[in-house]
Amino acid sequence: MAIPQITSGPSAPQPRVSRRTLLKGSAATAVAIGMAALPSARTAVEQSIPGTPSGPLRKGRVIDCHAHLTHRSRTTWEADDRKLIEAADKLGIDQLCCSTLTPRRPATADGFRECNRWTADGMRRFPGRVLGYCYVNPGYGREALEEIHRCVGERGFIGIKLYNEYTCMEPVVFPIVELATELGVPILQHAAHSHYFVEDQPRMSDGGHLAELARRYPEAMLICAHISGGGDWEWTIKALRHAPNVLLDTSGSVTDEGTVELAAAVVGVDRLLFGCDSSMTAGVGKIRGANLSAQDKEKILSGNMMRLLRRRKS
Amino acid sequence: MIVDVNAYLGHFAFRRLRHNTAAPLLALMDSKRIDKAVVSSVSAITYRNAQAGNEEVAEEVRGHRDRLIPFAVINPFYAGWQDDLKICHEEFGMAGLRLYPKWHNYQLSSACCRELVNAATERGIVISIPIRVEDNRQRSWLLNVPDVPLEEIVELVKAHPKARFILLNGIGYTRCPLGRKDNGLPPNYVIELSRLSAVLANELGQLITNLGAERVMFGTGMPFKYPDPALVKLEVLDASGADKEKIRSQNAMTWLRL
Repeated sequence: MAIPQITSGPSAPQPRVSRRTLLKGSAATAVAIGMAALPSARTAVEQSIPGTPSGPLRKGRVIDCHAHLTHRSRTTWEADDRKLIEAADKLGIDQLCCSTLTPRRPATADGFRECNRWTADGMRRFPGRVLGYCYVNPGYGREALEEIHRCVGERGFIGIKLYNEYTCMEPVVFPIVELATELGVPILQHAAHSHYFVEDQPRMSDGGHLAELARRYPEAMLICAHISGGGDWEWTIKALRHAPNVLLDTSGSVTDEGTVELAAAVVGVDRLLFGCDSSMTAGVGKIRGANLSAQDKEKILSGNMMRLLRRRKS
Repeated sequence: MIVDVNAYLGHFAFRRLRHNTAAPLLALMDSKRIDKAVVSSVSAITYRNAQAGNEEVAEEVRGHRDRLIPFAVINPFYAGWQDDLKICHEEFGMAGLRLYPKWHNYQLSSACCRELVNAATERGIVISIPIRVEDNRQRSWLLNVPDVPLEEIVELVKAHPKARFILLNGIGYTRCPLGRKDNGLPPNYVIELSRLSAVLANELGQLITNLGAERVMFGTGMPFKYPDPALVKLEVLDASGADKEKIRSQNAMTWLRL
């Protein structure tokens, strides 16, 4: 199934934080050069990429690789989802790669299937803006694999979201990784590394687990979630230096200066993906503040994610 | 004009900081068009004798007093703090304090701390309290320093209605009396925005509604943090130009008598 085209949905309002300032640096830069004189950031950068299967992936877009829709047990879910899109509009984020998670883990099979139906509905409600990750609990074996086939094959989801039911190096996860590789879709793995035992997440994965998984499956496309919301980010970045098929997502509420630059220096800018994980101004501000070239930021904001999405095999 | 009430100079024990001396910090401020910044010693957070950090900051800001406004870090349980306060205020010209009750292991309600707050108030000195230094999840294996509970701040502002407090690096104010409308608390505190959400939950907008734009100040947390997220918050904030100007600089100018 084709990934929905952004042009098929309602056009987003002009963002208050333009992509141009994201690439160049500070707001002050934009003020200094005269924001009013700039062409629309949205129209100025939009170009179709030849060769993409359905044409939805456009050069120069901003893709949040880590976002969430709201579970519908929350009465405000519809307004919350709308707020997410409105926040993206303000911040110049074109597309959000979303999963819906169960409020409590471990998720049951019924629980993750329900979440994925809602994610699919979100893709319909916000066409071209929301791209879907299929969330599963690997402990459900065949049911998890069937759900991935359904979501990726029939519903047009772009990847798989794994949370903390198992560390990613437990054998129960391997069939999921093998299927993701077969389908050519990435896995966004919840991860963190703290220097203490995280009691409420005893099976949390970290960069070390992901590096080990990457060595076992060098063809897999793995994304280490929220380096800025997952404990000691310096540890995580160093742990992933020699794992070329693991990309690092910059999301999270922590805005420590130098995070993005260190990640770029250690693992290379080609392995970084822009993300927010609901910390929207933090996510945007980190990239804008990073002392990297506009070309490098372009890769982080969308180029690297588009490269992953082009590897889809169906 | 932009005034940042949440900036620092010096070394942090657990992570290398960049832009942590006067010249690089000023260059960073220039690149972001931040005109003035309130700075205190990072090193004093972990020095046993915090005054050594204050001396370092006093030296570092010399020649840059038009842009860098030094605050003193005082530990009211350390010998000679009264002398340190006097020196910082009268010799170093420090117009404010930063207190670290959890890092320096004392209670805000303790007699020593109350004495310090009273002494600062008599001098007309502003007292700022960072609710946290860094995210607890990335803490070193050596220590576990909790955030300052907002409930303890509530008691502090109630106990010292004539004191003036700037609350830094906090979040969740709207879930406690500090951020609620008609909360019965003296209006003797302001809230800095670096960790507040400006979209989705939009705590920043809620605080402006509940307390007024006069009670919110701009701050970045640099060089611990990128300054840009705080700048982005101001850009996307749904508020009038007049309110944004208060937050951006006017409130700080008034409070710091600049």
